[in-house]
Amino acid sequence: MSLAQAPKATVYDDLPVRWFALAAVLWGVVGMLVGVIIAAQLTWPELNFGIPWFSYGRLRPLHTNAVIFAFGGCALMATSFHVVQRTCQVPLFAPALARFVFWGWQAVIVAAALSLPLGYTQGKEYAELEWPIDILIALVWVAYAIVFFGTIGVRKVRHIYVANWFFGAFILAVALLHIVNSAAIPAGAMKSYSAYAGVQDAMVQWWYGHNAVGFFLTAGFLGMMYYYIPKQAERPVYSYRLSIVHFWALIFTYMWAGPHHLHYTALPDWAQSIGMLFSLILLAPSWGGMINGVMTLSGAWHKLRDDPILKFLIVALSFYGMSTFEGPMMAIKTVNGLSHYTDWTVGHVHSGALGWVGFMTMGSLYYLIPRMFGQTRMHSVRAIELHFWIATIGIVLYIAAMWIAGVMQGLMWRAVNPDGTLVYSFVEGVKATYPFYMVRLLGGVLYLTGMLIMAWNVVMTVSRGRAVSTPVPALPAHA
Amino acid sequence: MDILYLLVPMSVFAMLGILGVFAWALRAGQFDEIDVVGEQILAASDAMPGAALDPDQGPAEQATEESAGTARHRHRSPS
Amino acid sequence: MSTTTFPHRPVTPLRSAAAASVLDEPEQTARFTRWLVPPSGGEGQRIGVSSLQVSGITCAACAAPIEQALRDVEGVIEASVNAAAMRAAVRWDAARTCPSALVEAIRRAGYDARPDTAAAAREGRREESRQALWQLFVAAFCAMQVMMLATPAYVAGPGGIEPDLQRLLNWGSWVMALPVMAFSARPFFAGAWRALRARHIGMDVPVAIGIAVAFVASSGAAFDPKGPFGSEVYFDSLTMFVTLLLIGRALELRARHRAAEVFEGALGALPETATRRLPDGRTECVGLARLCVGDRLQVAVGEAFPADGHVIEGCTAADEALLSGESSPQRKVLGDEVVAGSVNLEAPVLIQVLRAGADTRHEAIVALMREAQTQRPASARWADRWAAPFLWTVLLLAGGAAAVWSVIDPSRALWVAVSVLIVTCPCALSLATPSALLAAANALMRRGVLLRRLEALEGMARCTRLFVDKTGTLTEDRPSYIGCEPWRAAVCDPQALLLQAASLASWSLHPLAQALSAARPAAAAAFYWQALREEPGAGIEGEDAQGRLWRLGSERWVAGAAAAPADAGDDGEPGLCTWFGLQGRPMLRLRFDEALRPGVAAALVALQADGVRVTLLSGDAPHRVQRMAAALGLDSAIGGATPEDKLVALRAAQAAGETVAMLGDGINDAPVLAQADVSLAMGAGALLARGQADAVLLADRIGDVMVLRRLSRRCLKVIRQNIAWAATYNAVCVPLALTGWLPPWAAGLGMATSSLLVVGNALRLRRVD
Repeated sequence: MSLAQAPKATVYDDLPVRWFALAAVLWGVVGMLVGVIIAAQLTWPELNFGIPWFSYGRLRPLHTNAVIFAFGGCALMATSFHVVQRTCQVPLFAPALARFVFWGWQAVIVAAALSLPLGYTQGKEYAELEWPIDILIALVWVAYAIVFFGTIGVRKVRHIYVANWFFGAFILAVALLHIVNSAAIPAGAMKSYSAYAGVQDAMVQWWYGHNAVGFFLTAGFLGMMYYYIPKQAERPVYSYRLSIVHFWALIFTYMWAGPHHLHYTALPDWAQSIGMLFSLILLAPSWGGMINGVMTLSGAWHKLRDDPILKFLIVALSFYGMSTFEGPMMAIKTVNGLSHYTDWTVGHVHSGALGWVGFMTMGSLYYLIPRMFGQTRMHSVRAIELHFWIATIGIVLYIAAMWIAGVMQGLMWRAVNPDGTLVYSFVEGVKATYPFYMVRLLGGVLYLTGMLIMAWNVVMTVSRGRAVSTPVPALPAHA
Repeated sequence: MDILYLLVPMSVFAMLGILGVFAWALRAGQFDEIDVVGEQILAASDAMPGAALDPDQGPAEQATEESAGTARHRHRSPS
Repeated sequence: MSTTTFPHRPVTPLRSAAAASVLDEPEQTARFTRWLVPPSGGEGQRIGVSSLQVSGITCAACAAPIEQALRDVEGVIEASVNAAAMRAAVRWDAARTCPSALVEAIRRAGYDARPDTAAAAREGRREESRQALWQLFVAAFCAMQVMMLATPAYVAGPGGIEPDLQRLLNWGSWVMALPVMAFSARPFFAGAWRALRARHIGMDVPVAIGIAVAFVASSGAAFDPKGPFGSEVYFDSLTMFVTLLLIGRALELRARHRAAEVFEGALGALPETATRRLPDGRTECVGLARLCVGDRLQVAVGEAFPADGHVIEGCTAADEALLSGESSPQRKVLGDEVVAGSVNLEAPVLIQVLRAGADTRHEAIVALMREAQTQRPASARWADRWAAPFLWTVLLLAGGAAAVWSVIDPSRALWVAVSVLIVTCPCALSLATPSALLAAANALMRRGVLLRRLEALEGMARCTRLFVDKTGTLTEDRPSYIGCEPWRAAVCDPQALLLQAASLASWSLHPLAQALSAARPAAAAAFYWQALREEPGAGIEGEDAQGRLWRLGSERWVAGAAAAPADAGDDGEPGLCTWFGLQGRPMLRLRFDEALRPGVAAALVALQADGVRVTLLSGDAPHRVQRMAAALGLDSAIGGATPEDKLVALRAAQAAGETVAMLGDGINDAPVLAQADVSLAMGAGALLARGQADAVLLADRIGDVMVLRRLSRRCLKVIRQNIAWAATYNAVCVPLALTGWLPPWAAGLGMATSSLLVVGNALRLRRVD
């Protein structure tokens, strides 16, 4: 039965998937480039050039928003649209809305890219965008939810694959977090005041902040992991039962971990303690996911030798395990007393961001993009391998530099003389960290280089390929 | 910590919502036979109909033989 | 005398497909169909939902064509096929179609189907486990949330949290505890209610009271901190407690369900239908329920006899191994009785029904089994025996404490009482035994020993006498081929003849022939045979490509004697033999034996060394039984025993004060198994016995009996440790609670820790040595 003879078969709606995948690569380059710029500015402040819209203060939120929401967000949207269609065996629900999601999200990104350097900010970390953009985000997100859940609603396969649970939780949680945290009272076209004040605002902000990490950067990417690792390794998930248990365990422990960002602040002591306690508890469900993903390769470890895409995916999980161990450790008050406000925090963030989020995205896109353009492999597999090694070295340099810098800062800031005066002035601490900023910059440059190699590889693959329609299977698999 | 007047009821209602979702999942049979569903995503091929176009690449393994419908019949039997 | 001619290809013996139309009879249909109430409420549409077992499915893709075939039947509303489970569920309109049409449609598609009568029970189990999972999830999930909301109170110093905020957190805890009380804890309240209505105290009563009081008091404290209940809330202890208990129940449920599935998984011993010959010579297919005494039934080769009867036409051999343990086929000639459930091996026969339905020997055995079960010495349910006095003591203490404290310091009265109730809440006691038993059961299950009644562990530990069946228990189910040699100076190539014999043997259903054919599977297609003929009681003959007639069977028949009532080959020969040769000249003697299962000798030695006296108890010929017992070094053996004889032997041992275990296999063992203190069945054995046995050795390893005994001993030790701990804990904590030294949170914590300790100790049993 060939395509020609069959009655007009339904095809998957992969156009948004293609667009989002390519956009992810583009914004990845942009976001990492800005990251390299601000790393350079920290090392050599003269690179601020005295120009306000090129200053570190304004570029930093541009970097964080670009890598999290533009790079990470487009990757999540691309993969969630791809996975939900393939596992439900139906094309996207409300295709027009899906296109709106794409263009709306790009509009958000462009608005961010313009407004942040221009200095419009709400001042809340990872939620800097001003109120009109926040409204647009909410609209796009509602549309996203409709498309995603609608597709699940019309599915032809009874069982909802576990990856979709993670994506679904991510979508709903981010909606709640965004709406609550971004509540603000407008005071001008691009100016607003938070609906909350003082330490109350801090609590809401970090309830948002940590859950954003938990749902946007963890649950969402775990959804990616549960689909692309089995597909690339051609083996089923190690324990499907564990994946379900770990999903439910994860979503109900995440809510209260936020206060660990506020140790030794004006937040009441008991609130800080709870944050510490639940951050520690979070370790278990997180590692459940990691073990499940890594053990999927059990019995097929040799595939890691030859397949660079699998390298990306599995190493991503190792960084995930590392970060979800390091995080709870840093949430302990005594440890936090050393690490807070130092570069150790930056190192922790980037091991998770570059290692887990970055590598998982890259591995998934390397799987996805050729198939979106009629091929089974990227244009150059050796380039993937090269990307992997360069990026890995970059990450190692980055986090090693930040660990050393962070611990050193912490120790120097706390050192007191017998008479109670500080041993080191602040600037002395800055001077001491300078060489590590250079190493970090090098690490970032390497990581960006890897990303550029990926961009080249993608361009070559796309130009040689062509967008093809994949038919939806006539007889759905049985659930 | 007045903000808890917002956060606590919100998380309580969110939790009740999650309970509702779990109830639906259970009733809809989402947790039946979970030993075999992990394999089903592997059964469906992601290969495209039509050969690879890049002469540098070898012939795509699956792309040449697939056509609408037949792809789905290569199910792996659940073990 | 009827003869059977075979087609020119060996076929796997199949049950003859019953005419599907018999399924349309209302009582037949009801066994596998559920009727839906029409939504409109009118008499219009009657929708049936039928479950069918489908055979011939080889992969997941088979599901779709079967579904399509069903949907094409006019009147079918919906059909879904589960390839992995090989089941089909069909929704159909009674006015437009019938079950036989469904089966026919499946057959036309190239598969086969029979009713899935176990569907109702399976649905029931699925509902039960869904409900249990749901209750457990709700309890665990809510307990976690409550824990989060309760932690600030533990963590903050006095005055650290403003009272309003504390009330908010308490409110949150209360809301989260509601689903636990209203839903998850329902089994405890329902169980307590049932027990009280039956005027007896079960373990659910103290649990239910403890939960209820703690909840009511905590609710009072949450909403009226200045009221009589004080200001401390204990929703966290409460929900955690319920979760722990539900985990225990879920494990127990799973063990029970697994055992039930084993029981229903295999086919029943009796067929669904029978072929009745009418006076005018036509035949009809009827359900078993419609058989009457005097009916004449045609029974084809490979079918099970549907009723007790005697042979009125034809002669054959029947495999009664399932019933009697006899490993050699029983010849049945004109006038011989046949037993319902045994399998017709050699030739189609006509029988006349002597007893049908509930009157058959098969059903009588089942009834005997059930009766023996109720008279079975009950294992001490001492946890329940202790519960009544324990509960009364606890209530009295709590009430007394409240009374005394209401005089000394009224504000503390209620909470002291609650502390007493919670701390003595017999969870440690109620978990001490079940948790150990369950851990042991799970360890055994992983090893391949399915424990159906947990009390068996206790019995096994105290066991002093083991009765063992022979056929199918100590020996493999079928005879096995052991060797051949030229017979009486015949000049031949034994190996070549062997292959030829095996090829001829593949055409026969006789157990010896099957054993020979299995020993040389490649031979089946290697030789060409024609004009095949099987002579009941003698053997099988066929002509080769050159037209020469070869025979495989008893020595005299192969030598050319006419088929005569032959003895079963027990003429002083050490084992079973059959001969092969050209007509008139037996050339090759083939020897068979019942092979002992591997590891039997070592296992029995180990058991005897451990203080268990082993007796071989079998219905087989006494000389064979004695020989085997001697070879294995057993204490004693009883051969030629009928089921009644076996029962007598067991009862005698029990009367002498011994704790008796029985390891058996066939249905005939079933009433005996029920009489034993501990009944063990082999996994490969008859279904019914498996269903009633306390434990099933799924891996068919006799060594598992020793494993079971060792684990039982360890289990009892752990139980004793747990009880000792629970007793000590209560002895220490109750006075503390009474004197007001134990606030409820400490009581809850103590109780939870104590439970965890007990469960943790029990988990040590999961290691099977």
